[in-house]
Amino acid sequence: MRKSSLAFVGVLLGATALAHPASADVKIGLLGGVSGPIAAMAPAMIDAAQLAIQQVNEQGGLLAGENLVGVVGDSGCNPQNATDAATKAVNIEGISAMVGPHCSGAVLAAANSVTIPAGITMITPSGTSPEISKLADKDTVFRTVPSDDYQGRALARTLLERGTGKVAVAYLNNDYGKGLAEAFKAEFEEKGGEIAGFAAHEDGKASYRSNLAELADGGADTLVLFDYGDGTGLTILRQALENGFFETFIGGDGMKSDAPIRELGAENLGTFYASSPVGEQSAGLEAFNAAFKAIGGDPNAIFVTTSYDATFLAALALEKAGGDKAKVHEALREVSNGEGEAILPGEWKKAKELIAAGTAIDYKGAAGDHNFDANGDVPGTYALWRVEGDTFAVETEMK
Amino acid sequence: MLDLINFYLVPGIVLGSIYALGAVGITLVFAILRYAHLAHGDLATLGAFLALAVVSAIGLPVYAALPVAMIVTAGVAVGVDRLFYDYLRERPKIVTVMASLGVALMIRSLVQVIWGVDAESYTRGISRPENWWGIRLKDREIATVAVMIGLVLALQLFLLRTKWGKAMRAMSDNPDLALLSGIDNRKVVTLTWIIVGGLCAASGYFLGLNTELKSLMGWQMLLPMFAAAILGGVGRIEGAVIGGLVVGIAEELSVLVLPSEYKAAMAFAILLVMLLVRPTGLLRGKVL
Amino acid sequence: MEWIGLLNYAVFMAIFIGIYALLAIGLNIQWGFTGLFNAGIAGFFAVGAYVSAILTSPYAEGRIGGFEMPVVIGWLGAMVAAGAIAWPIGKVCLRFRSDYLAIATIGVAEIIRLVIKSEDWLTNSARGITDIPRPFGDLPYVQSQLAYLAIVAAVLLAAYLLVERQIASPWGRMMRAIRDNETAARAMGKDVPFRRLEAFVFGAALMGLGGALFAHLNRAITPEAIDPMVATFLVWIMLILGGSGNNRGAILGVAVVWIIWSMSEILTDRLPAEMAVKAKYIRVFLIGLMLQLVLRFRPEGILPERQREAEISTDSAK
Repeated sequence: MRKSSLAFVGVLLGATALAHPASADVKIGLLGGVSGPIAAMAPAMIDAAQLAIQQVNEQGGLLAGENLVGVVGDSGCNPQNATDAATKAVNIEGISAMVGPHCSGAVLAAANSVTIPAGITMITPSGTSPEISKLADKDTVFRTVPSDDYQGRALARTLLERGTGKVAVAYLNNDYGKGLAEAFKAEFEEKGGEIAGFAAHEDGKASYRSNLAELADGGADTLVLFDYGDGTGLTILRQALENGFFETFIGGDGMKSDAPIRELGAENLGTFYASSPVGEQSAGLEAFNAAFKAIGGDPNAIFVTTSYDATFLAALALEKAGGDKAKVHEALREVSNGEGEAILPGEWKKAKELIAAGTAIDYKGAAGDHNFDANGDVPGTYALWRVEGDTFAVETEMK
Repeated sequence: MLDLINFYLVPGIVLGSIYALGAVGITLVFAILRYAHLAHGDLATLGAFLALAVVSAIGLPVYAALPVAMIVTAGVAVGVDRLFYDYLRERPKIVTVMASLGVALMIRSLVQVIWGVDAESYTRGISRPENWWGIRLKDREIATVAVMIGLVLALQLFLLRTKWGKAMRAMSDNPDLALLSGIDNRKVVTLTWIIVGGLCAASGYFLGLNTELKSLMGWQMLLPMFAAAILGGVGRIEGAVIGGLVVGIAEELSVLVLPSEYKAAMAFAILLVMLLVRPTGLLRGKVL
Repeated sequence: MEWIGLLNYAVFMAIFIGIYALLAIGLNIQWGFTGLFNAGIAGFFAVGAYVSAILTSPYAEGRIGGFEMPVVIGWLGAMVAAGAIAWPIGKVCLRFRSDYLAIATIGVAEIIRLVIKSEDWLTNSARGITDIPRPFGDLPYVQSQLAYLAIVAAVLLAAYLLVERQIASPWGRMMRAIRDNETAARAMGKDVPFRRLEAFVFGAALMGLGGALFAHLNRAITPEAIDPMVATFLVWIMLILGGSGNNRGAILGVAVVWIIWSMSEILTDRLPAEMAVKAKYIRVFLIGLMLQLVLRFRPEGILPERQREAEISTDSAK
């Protein structure tokens, strides 16, 4: 047996050795929670990242025409798998930059024990925990998803402006839901609104009707739901609609998903709104939407815009840094600091020429302009969306 | 009062029925094969998605998909036993428990490869409940509870009245004696898996019918279902039903007294208290 | 350079194997040597990780902490706390049959997980604790990984030697006697409940230490790390695959399962790029299948429990 287990390890090691095709590919790690609790969200996010890579390769590739390759890794939404996947991506695949992981806990672990020490720049498209801002990261950890704090507060102001003064809040008990809910609550109450119910829920239960009944007890007719539209958020929305709890439903960016429209029907979602980031120039979002639809993607899937932007930014920074891993983080700031010729999603050829000419560029992405602050965070601009036809349309800007 | 029934008790009973269907299967495996079957939840997921395939590909009505899914899942369960559990029967039971964990991973990944990971549902749109003298019930909720009761009664009748049912009970009470008296062990095991597979499919189907289908739906139900089986007294069919209902109702009612993020802890809190007060379960368990 | 990458990967794997080996040895004391079915490893892992995190991390607003104690104190604290949690659980539950202990420990672990996930003041809830100091963490990547590996290896070696000595001593013989024939052991005047409790607490303390080593490795601990799949079931698979009742088997089991777990991804990455996401599901399938294969051909574990010569005659009673 010992011999056969040795042979078995040998086969695996052989596979490791095979993992080094001798070519001039430049690799970007795409780490996502493919297995685990956010399994439903990860594939679309990775597809969006692959779209950016595909566009780069179609429009001349990186640097002297090198092929950009996305190395997909499974971070499993937990630190164990994330550090494992990050170690493999950095050391075995030799990636030049990393997009991901998706979950905050995975981001913290992978950044601390792999990418920061190894000097690899990491851009997470969906890790929203404030702890990520606090990382002692030598300026190598960024995110394209705006912090929960900003979105929660903007949503509170928008609701008050629209005349909604009393709401109940239900949020998923993880860093995403909690961050949004607390920011929302603070701003809403400060500006004179009334929170008539505020409760967290666990993921994956079969019934939330008692939660809804308890929240509705406060007398609010608007439910603010910070959850994922293709997960528990869908279950809660369904059970609220079916049982007549609440009249209006407001979600965060996690709720702006096609799943509620697909499963519940647009005709039932006339009073459902969700906030989601948009760039100052909506042209950026439109360009992404068209391109993503063209490859069969769903532009309304959660966090696809931020995933696309993170990947495109990583590619721009690599180009700018001349392929030098250690300089990617500085270059990343240079291509997105708000100064220079505007580059929209998909405009790789233009960007490449400008970089070669030494002209400053500024990426204006699908999910915002991405002018990173000192912590590597982006402020973000949001709009409130309503369901129209079988998709989402902008209801109002959020200030 | 009506609110309490409509929003706490009714969902609790529906949820409890789903748990009960799973717990009966778990308790059967415990009683006859004597191990904890960790692939139970993922087998339920498979059953739910098989029903979806029947609904969307063949176009059968939603309710007609249930028997088809039950039969196919029963076949899968028997196949899994032959392929992965059978040769471990003489080994310590813990080895089979580990094998079932491996099976759980395999079934889950199969579901994800075949059906993807998006949330799905059997019927598009929403179904509002009807009003029965103030009590609001949906067809599918009535169906859930009715089918659960029907299946459990049928199972009880089968166990009490038929030759093979008696053989299964004999295996549960005393396997050595059962073997000596000429009961075909292999047939009893196969029969057990047919029943357990069918029940798994039913619990997954009703969970999907009342909410959505997700690739992790069964895995997330596993711990409450185990709690229900132990709570009722291991090896007792009616105990598993009562255990399931208690866990379901308690989870829904817990929102009244506990912060709602602790809803999932309710099943275990009850279980721990039960272990302290009455370690044999609500109904005295036969085996263990 | 290529070999540096492979070395880094190997070092990382070794660190992980070391940490999980502590968990597996802890479980081996409970299950392998004493027959206690602990299905709540994640709970003790979590208590250890969080206690050490709270003791050693700097002040953070909104939660208890700011003690900034030395790492060693944190690790000792982790062991003490995990043992202290295990004490009442064991006291109450060890009088039941092993299956009840399994359910009780699962229940306690789930409740611990929910508390950690929900209580701001204690654990910063879902966001977790960051800024945990890592010994030699300021060295460059390779050196700091090697230094941490050295620490983990030293801790593991110490634990291994300690446990081996205990097992070979009269205490170990008594524990095996209790496991294999409780009535006989009781008849010989052994204090069975107390001995079991001893083993349960000792094993839990090692699990807590494993948790602490894990938290300091990542300088952060979040609730995602204590999911039952990665922190309980995985350890069980490792122990059973490696050989319950044999510490070397336990460590080997950890290594084999981690190698399967980690390298299977490299294997499935060979699939065409269009299947990059599906490949990850197939990987999980492969993991499940490989577990079945090992169980098929080595159901007693890769390194089964050694029969000690003097015991062979009595062991047949099992």
